[in-house]
Amino acid sequence: MRWAIYILAVLVAVAIDSSLGGVLKIGDAQPRFLACVVVYAILSAPRAYAVRIAMLAGLLADLLSPTIRPDDSQLVVIGPWTLGFALGALAVLPLRSLLYHRNPISSGFATFVFSLLAAIVFVAVWVLRINLLSDESPSWWPGTGASEVWHQSKVAIANGVVAIPTVWLLDRSRGIWGFSTAKRLVHGAARETV
Amino acid sequence: MNGTRFFRIIFSRLTGRRLDWLLAGFALLLAILPARALAPWTGDVARIVVVPIVPLMHLGMVVRDRIRPPRAAFDARAPEVVELELATERYRTLFEQSRLKAEALDREIAQLKAVRTRLGNSGVQLETASVVGIDPTRREGLVRINAGLRQGVHRDAAVIIHGDILGGIVANDPGEFVSLVKPAQRCSLSVRLYPADGVDAGLNPSAYPGTVLKPIDGGLWIGDIASDVEIREGQIARVTDDRFGSVARGMRVGRVRRILPNEQVPLARRVEVEPLAQLIDESTVVVAIDPPEARP
Repeated sequence: MRWAIYILAVLVAVAIDSSLGGVLKIGDAQPRFLACVVVYAILSAPRAYAVRIAMLAGLLADLLSPTIRPDDSQLVVIGPWTLGFALGALAVLPLRSLLYHRNPISSGFATFVFSLLAAIVFVAVWVLRINLLSDESPSWWPGTGASEVWHQSKVAIANGVVAIPTVWLLDRSRGIWGFSTAKRLVHGAARETV
Repeated sequence: MNGTRFFRIIFSRLTGRRLDWLLAGFALLLAILPARALAPWTGDVARIVVVPIVPLMHLGMVVRDRIRPPRAAFDARAPEVVELELATERYRTLFEQSRLKAEALDREIAQLKAVRTRLGNSGVQLETASVVGIDPTRREGLVRINAGLRQGVHRDAAVIIHGDILGGIVANDPGEFVSLVKPAQRCSLSVRLYPADGVDAGLNPSAYPGTVLKPIDGGLWIGDIASDVEIREGQIARVTDDRFGSVARGMRVGRVRRILPNEQVPLARRVEVEPLAQLIDESTVVVAIDPPEARP
């Protein structure tokens, strides 16, 4: 896998999420292309890299999501999305053998699972942070953690739907990603012609 | 064992699953660090990372505005009528600004000299900025604008949309070229509630009910009204706060959506106020930059 292509795709996805993505917003659920790109990479890249590539994207999501503290200063917390994406990747990895990973519909399902688990970990890490550091206010204030999970579940569904065309499009550019492709050797005539 | 050999052994062992666990542990450690340990450096890292993305985000915002133009453009009425209505609202705001200013002067007569100096040379600079990014991952509704310290932007500077609606305030630590804006729906605001169809110029501003709006879930505010003055749905909430500079005072922020009884205080009522406009739907905003001596 070419890391430069992955990083570029992640940056473009983040930029689209932060600007153009608002066009696809339904209610208060805005789908995230970042999740689609990460899941596409997880389903295609070597297993050993899956968690790391997800964490890299999660780190970027954390860096671009500052929160406002009670004293009105901004704070960037590194970790909630990084860990969320890591767990999402661990959940998607077993699906690789169950799903035909070049099928956009199965990618949509994988994106839904990935996004949902990432969001649950994100909320859990923030809840842990609030309990440990009482002066912190979560990003979903004045709502509750449960309302945030509910909101993120809707976002996960939206991500799953958007992943179907996005993964199909990404698969058109498969050649430049440099994923290793294993070919099955067939006995018989094909072998004889070599 | 020398240092080089130690690190060679460490790095040779840190591969595969071990490396993943190490990175996850490091991320967990960072996630639970207190703000005083994170604030000095994570913001700077984020500013550096955002640099290559800002042009792409700006391009995306332009495309977004092409695909889904700002709502005003969809108004089916004649553009002249819409423009006149907006102008009327702007003049109402200016009128209310001056009345609230006069009220403040009456109250603070002891500080007349200082206020006169401010009025005589307010020196507020209005800077137009583009929204170059919205926050897709959080529900805070934060936006990034392409104006920063180089343009004179300072913390708590009022961010104005649609001419006279307080859209938000600049958060702490604005960058050199990019600033983060906190939407008004996330701020507690002192307001007065005025009739939607204009005010009686003969009435003192204090005759209109005032309250402190507190943000609640769903991007709304809630405020308690202790007096028995008449309140109606659709009334306009105008800022009376001094915290965001003189420009923000008198600006519209929201509209009364519901009037509810206050269970704790039977004679009081509670108003639910919805914002007049969402900052994240805008592509261009105006930042009111106060002169250094007048900054809150």
